[in-house]
Amino acid sequence: MPNAALIPTPDAIPVAWGWFYVLLMLTFLLHLLVMNAMLGGGIIALLSSLRRSEQNTLLSKEFSYKWPYTIAIAVNLGVAPLLFIQVLYGQFIYSSSILMAAWWLSIIVMLILAYYGAYIYTFKFDTLGSLRSCMAGFSVALLLCIAFLFSNNMTLMLRPESWSVYFTNASGSFLNTADPTLIPRYLHFVIGAVAVAGLYLALIGHFNFVKSKANPQMLIEQGMRYFTIATAISVVLGLWFLIALPKNIMMLLMGGSAFGTVLLVLGLVLTFVALYLGHKRRVIKSSVVTLLLLVVMVLMRDLVRTGSLAPYFSLSDLQVIPEYSPLIFFLVIFAAGLALVAYMLRLALECRKEVK
Amino acid sequence: MNYPVWDLTTFGGGFFIALIAVVHVLVAHFAVGGGLFLVSLESKAYRDEDPALLEYVKKHSKFFLLLTMVFGGMTGVGIWWTISLLNPAATSSLIHIFVFGWAAEWVFFLTEIVALFIYYYTFGRMDRKKHLIIGWLYFFSAWMSLFIINGIIDFMLSPGAWLENRDFWSGFFNPTFWPALTFRTGLSLVLCGVFGFVTAAFVKEEQLRTRLMRTCAKWVAIPFVLMLLGGGWYIYSLPGTVSHLIFEHSPEMTFYLRTLAWATPVFFVASMFMALKLPNSLQKVLCFGVVGIALIYFGAFEFVREGGRRPYIIYEYMYSNQVFVDDVPGIQQAGFLPAAKWTQHHEITKDNVHAAGKDLFKFQCTACHSVGGPLNDMQPLVEKYSNIFGMDSKLDGLGKLNTYMPPFMGTRAERWALASYIVKEFNDSSAETGNLSVADQDLPIQIPPFDKDKDEYVLLAWSTLGMKGISDSSERWMMLPPGTSIYAQLIKRGDSPQIVTRAVELRYEIDPEFRTPQDKVAFWKQAEKLFGKQLEPGIGLAGMGMAGTMRLDAEHNAFVAAKIPVVPYPASGGFNPYPLMTITAHAIDSGKELARTLVVAPATTEMGCKNCHGGDWGVADVAGFTVATGEDILAAHDKNSATNLLEQARSGQPVLCQSCHADPALGAAGKEGILNFSASIHGWHANFLTERDTAVACAACHATSTDGATQCFRSHHAQFMDCSNCHGTLEDHALTLLLHEQQQGKPRAERLMEHLHSRNVEEIAQIKSRAPWGQQPDCLTCHTDFGMGMSMDAFNRWTADEKALYRKRHDQMGAVMCAACHSSQHALYQASFNRLGAQRDSIQPLQYQGNNRPIGNDCTVCHTVQPEFEGHHPNSLRN
Repeated sequence: MPNAALIPTPDAIPVAWGWFYVLLMLTFLLHLLVMNAMLGGGIIALLSSLRRSEQNTLLSKEFSYKWPYTIAIAVNLGVAPLLFIQVLYGQFIYSSSILMAAWWLSIIVMLILAYYGAYIYTFKFDTLGSLRSCMAGFSVALLLCIAFLFSNNMTLMLRPESWSVYFTNASGSFLNTADPTLIPRYLHFVIGAVAVAGLYLALIGHFNFVKSKANPQMLIEQGMRYFTIATAISVVLGLWFLIALPKNIMMLLMGGSAFGTVLLVLGLVLTFVALYLGHKRRVIKSSVVTLLLLVVMVLMRDLVRTGSLAPYFSLSDLQVIPEYSPLIFFLVIFAAGLALVAYMLRLALECRKEVK
Repeated sequence: MNYPVWDLTTFGGGFFIALIAVVHVLVAHFAVGGGLFLVSLESKAYRDEDPALLEYVKKHSKFFLLLTMVFGGMTGVGIWWTISLLNPAATSSLIHIFVFGWAAEWVFFLTEIVALFIYYYTFGRMDRKKHLIIGWLYFFSAWMSLFIINGIIDFMLSPGAWLENRDFWSGFFNPTFWPALTFRTGLSLVLCGVFGFVTAAFVKEEQLRTRLMRTCAKWVAIPFVLMLLGGGWYIYSLPGTVSHLIFEHSPEMTFYLRTLAWATPVFFVASMFMALKLPNSLQKVLCFGVVGIALIYFGAFEFVREGGRRPYIIYEYMYSNQVFVDDVPGIQQAGFLPAAKWTQHHEITKDNVHAAGKDLFKFQCTACHSVGGPLNDMQPLVEKYSNIFGMDSKLDGLGKLNTYMPPFMGTRAERWALASYIVKEFNDSSAETGNLSVADQDLPIQIPPFDKDKDEYVLLAWSTLGMKGISDSSERWMMLPPGTSIYAQLIKRGDSPQIVTRAVELRYEIDPEFRTPQDKVAFWKQAEKLFGKQLEPGIGLAGMGMAGTMRLDAEHNAFVAAKIPVVPYPASGGFNPYPLMTITAHAIDSGKELARTLVVAPATTEMGCKNCHGGDWGVADVAGFTVATGEDILAAHDKNSATNLLEQARSGQPVLCQSCHADPALGAAGKEGILNFSASIHGWHANFLTERDTAVACAACHATSTDGATQCFRSHHAQFMDCSNCHGTLEDHALTLLLHEQQQGKPRAERLMEHLHSRNVEEIAQIKSRAPWGQQPDCLTCHTDFGMGMSMDAFNRWTADEKALYRKRHDQMGAVMCAACHSSQHALYQASFNRLGAQRDSIQPLQYQGNNRPIGNDCTVCHTVQPEFEGHHPNSLRN
């Protein structure tokens, strides 16, 4: 276990780790959905605006309406998993973040710029004209950089063996580029985001949440096309990612662990089902299958994490100093918050109908 | 020590968090109050059926969305990002302690976002009542975010009962929770008005604009009262130690407190000014001015709040540099590096001192200090330390007297490594001490003649102090004016020798090389300002010059040349702390010279202030003060005791320490309640010089170094004793003086005593207090019945009063003063360790008896017939 001595001593947790584990998986899944819509949607909007046909312009315009709040919700839903990962794996993620601190902090600046860029893209869509793709490109490029830095940190936190770089570089400028999983993992996530965003557009078309003059059917057609092609590419990238993993981790998914193997097989099956449904332009069924697929992928991702950290740490190592009343308080607030969101969305939807 | 530290140098010291936090909190508070502003104005527009106002509210909501949701929201995440990079240990603690608080805050953040988007995107399209409900839900969510984050932020400042019970709710509803919530709620409402000015100023229609400006001014004015009340309550509810630090003990706070003091009224007045009918072009500029003032106001508040928490990041739980308070005793014992995870130097060896020091610097200093950056730059703070000893001493004292810094955490070797790293890295010096090693000299002396068969008189002379220290720093400041006093007794030899005080005149004359001290020091230019006396050049504080007639001191049967302003600077240059003075006795009637002798008139300016206070030696690289040293001393005093001495001195009024600090040596009464000079100066500095060898501790300031240019302790005692045998270790010495002040009802002594531990006795209760100068070690403690000393521990047994002092005592006949035969304290015969020559301090024994032993070693020096009784003191005839 090289560099095991570097791993900070974790703080105690107030309730059994399983609570945090469930909350982490759940909120990460939610974040993943919206983040994919944000990033993949941006990429699709950019590609569409580069193609310049009327339908493509309408598609990018339609997404422009959705983009700002997709960013806001993606960020918000990112807060929760980042909170819970700090609770469970703080000693790893704080350390890796500091190794790449300068990059990590730059995310905030890039995010603000990307966000304002998205607003300019939205509010000035018509007046921007040909500069539109530049504006979308600006925000998409920033979001891609942010994604790359996230991939760096999420892989670096799993590799304490590379942390001794700190002794030669403590300036926070390190990137985990030597990790063979970095690039396939990054590409797998980005292309996967395009697939989910394609589905998102198709759903907008399907439920007719269209604000622009875009034809809902066109949205479904285009969205499902993006979904199918991106899913197909991500199968290849996923395999690259798989074989780039350290052998012992890869084997967890290929016979080493029954749970891991089931997940991989299930994932592959669901992917091919999704591809078939995508090809058939079945929006709802594709969405359901994709959601299941994402659950499987989130669990596989977590298995890679626990497997990589197994020599150093297991969640059950965390000391528990029990205090359950704050958990109850949170659960009540969480439930009330969700009810409030549902109530407000209902008012908003009613309003939409009223206007129509 | 648990986590790696991001090596930021220029942008260290919390720069990023300060940058992001101040702008974020301003916008974040606006995000809270702004919700109420929007729904209130929207309701009013509906009530009054005022479409123009409604249109304004819609536009304002877009501005609000873009500012609070994008900039406010993202910088809020940015704060979290930043703290986890700059202080992961504290972040982790807060995350783990309050995880469900944060999680609940996240829920409110979510409802806030959803509500605001719906509010903005459905403006004018949704049913009015429902739209207002959405607005109210936004405000509720935003305020609840504030409610939760307020609990966690104030927990850091005042954890209250949580420190004992570790209960989530105790920590959350901590002692400053409610007042801070009131203050922040008031502020958030004030800020609606402030940002309202910005959007209102750009309304084209004049009448509406004027109306809106007045509305916004009201939004500032009314909650301003709530904000001030909350602020006052907040201050009132701060733990005593925090408010003490903010308002009394932290010099850095002064700037921010002053800023708050002027920014508060200016903020209010500027906002009210906006309500006046002003040209639109002016309004468009001024509205940003008001935002700027609000930023300054709130920035100053945040700096005070953060500063008040020092030296902790979580009060009394974790220090700013990520070390748990509970871990410190163990670290002091076993060391910092062995327990630190992110270092390669767990042990200090001779090869890794610099590298280990660098790691210690990174782990212990950079959380608050930048290197060459805008926040708490280390560079100017340490530039005065040109030697490791000085820096090490500064580290020794950290966190003791000024509680805004944590203590140094680690072993002596680690402390030295850190000091050595700082001195090398910042000042490019490897000097261990600030003193040069000075070689011995043997200056020629002409021993005056004495003919035992013919001469009728024996003239004995000595200085009242073995060494007179002088601070030749009078341009700015003074603690020890020149003034070497020489006593002399004239003895008429015979069967029964007599002390002669009548019909004789004793004259003194300093070596011509030292006749014009006014050419060497600025004392006479400043004497009137310092002592309120006009002194002729070369004349001392007792009115006596460099040559003249000694005055009779009838009480002691002696003559005195009092406070002769000897300075250790010969006309020909260099440094000589042992000038010679010629004493002659004359018959008044005939003028005939009866006797003549030479005596050392000691004076030194070798005081090590510059070792820690910066500056150089003023003279010959071995002694003397420079202005830089003096100014730093005054600046340090100003910083630590909230005085204004440096400015006073620079404006032409030099400072005499004893103008406030009582000092019997100068006959200064001092000021009520203030510690006397000796207690104060020793008590203060002992905190920086703990656990040192006496040779090191005393020589840090006094001219006692055995390889220095003075070496004031030059008697035979120096062969086997050091200062501590009589005075105690520095800590004990200081404690004796401080205890005396404490007993005099001066509570300030306790601050200096808090971190001092006795090394001479088991516990402080065993220490006997003493008054400075009036009570000193007693020779008879060791020399029982004037016999050979059988112990070397004279500490803690002080002379009862001034009369009992060695320098004031006589033999048992009340005739010959002790020092007449034994010479001055610190230079008691045999005094062969004078750095300028072995004979220099033994002139009279050599003159009268041909050896360097105490006078009377041969009784026939005075007694023409060998006495049979021990008239002077028991055991005086042992040889």
